[in-house]
Amino acid sequence: MGLLKKNDQTAVRNRLSEGMKDPVKILLFISKKEEDCHYCNLTKDIIEEVALLSEGKIVTETYVKEENEELAEKYGVEYVPGFVILDKNGEHRNVVFHGAPFGHEFATLLEILLIVSNGFETPIPEELIKKVMEIKEPVKIQAFVTPTCPHCPPAVLTAHFFAMINPNIKSEMVEASEFPELSAKFGVSAVPQVVINNGDGGFVGAYPPDNFYEEIIKVLNK
Amino acid sequence: MVFFDLGSTLEPTKNKELEESYDVIIIGGGPAGMTAGVYAARGGLKTLIIEKASEGGQIVLTEEVENYPGFLKITGGDLAQRFAKQAEHFGCDITMGEVRNVELCCDNKFVILDSGKKIKTNVIIVATGASHKKLGVPGEKELANRGVSYCAICDGAFFRDKHVSVIGGGNSAIEEAIYLSQMASKVTVIHRRDKLRADKIIQDRAFDNPRIEFKWDTVVKEIKGENKVQSLTVQNVKTGVQEEMSVDGVFIYIGLQPQTVLFENLLRLTSDGFIKVNKDTLETSVPGVFAAGDVIEKEIRQIINAAADGAIASSMAIKKYF
Repeated sequence: MGLLKKNDQTAVRNRLSEGMKDPVKILLFISKKEEDCHYCNLTKDIIEEVALLSEGKIVTETYVKEENEELAEKYGVEYVPGFVILDKNGEHRNVVFHGAPFGHEFATLLEILLIVSNGFETPIPEELIKKVMEIKEPVKIQAFVTPTCPHCPPAVLTAHFFAMINPNIKSEMVEASEFPELSAKFGVSAVPQVVINNGDGGFVGAYPPDNFYEEIIKVLNK
Repeated sequence: MVFFDLGSTLEPTKNKELEESYDVIIIGGGPAGMTAGVYAARGGLKTLIIEKASEGGQIVLTEEVENYPGFLKITGGDLAQRFAKQAEHFGCDITMGEVRNVELCCDNKFVILDSGKKIKTNVIIVATGASHKKLGVPGEKELANRGVSYCAICDGAFFRDKHVSVIGGGNSAIEEAIYLSQMASKVTVIHRRDKLRADKIIQDRAFDNPRIEFKWDTVVKEIKGENKVQSLTVQNVKTGVQEEMSVDGVFIYIGLQPQTVLFENLLRLTSDGFIKVNKDTLETSVPGVFAAGDVIEKEIRQIINAAADGAIASSMAIKKYF
């Protein structure tokens, strides 16, 4: 306990108590052996600390991925640490986190917790929601980020919002420094880098939601 | 280096449905834009701030700010959030989006967003700021995001225990070199002169840093590598001698270029593209269009005077037009 500074603990407690509506559950998948996954414990610790600050509104369940492969597959968790946030009905809407949510991505975690708790109500404008809902083909978005990257949270958030809007869209936050092979596969050396459909398309930088949407359409029209 | 940023609450006003018209539209959400917003809103104007990437503009890309009055030390991100919260607090609408076009004639001006949305306004304040100047050498574009970077805090993590070079001699270059020295095994600062432009206090910190070395009187001629940066061809400007330098990354901090492509045929600009304004009112060559911050023609570009510009532009707009 005690990853967060005292002031931050109070701020998080207040934010959760003011902002959360329904309870949520975080399902975390970690490795069997600690040495295989440097950030698994950090992730477990921070989400448990946040849960403690939520006065019961957030519960966490941790699974060893190697022993629960079917469950991990059900939720789209491919790597460890990997976690999803379920609403009161058990829905996660294909929003996945691969990597520890620290640095600026801690803010992303808080935002998503609040939004899932409030019925997945995203701040995307109506006009764009309508357009995103019309996407019929499967789309996989991987947003590569690092904890010190300040432009990264908007990229992750927009990707996650799109996934929440349309069940054909799956969105992943990928913490690049924890997954060097995956990052190298897509040539990630600057963040945020958004990879669409395993490299069919993508872009680097924080695009506003409308432009992000256009990039997805470009890939689907190829 | 593990830290936890709480971020700002996603206020309902952000990305909410935009109105059809405003009294003033501020293009750019950095210190100039946000301060202009505070002054405009407090002056009773219906205000919209449009930001394309992240609130705070350039300051978000810097770890530490030590010279903004009132704060001994604050992160760029923190300061940016405070600016944004204040603008929201006084009632500014803030939206994320990119401006595709503007119609500047006459009393009713229009701002057209990338999404196609067209918004009417009486006054426009251009606070689009500046972005990092490019070196303009072969390999720079080809290897962008493959070892060529203009943002140390964004991309530094990819160069842990590696050798990186920083190009430039001003505050940004040296501050970022110091930041990178925490991760890289070696940082070579390449500067075309034999002394730095940076503040003395920053220079001393760099000179005392065992991981930072300096290559004076040197410019980069080419950035090379297959799929990622592997070496630089550099040249000594005094002797003309060229040599190959092995590096894993190159961080370029050689100055700023204004973000004014949109205004090229609409406003009077300097030959470098900065917006020409009346020194007292900050009004541009088009009545009802003001400009503030790094984007205008000026000698010194700092957060403090960007914010000051924002305040002046809004105040003068109110005085003249409302």
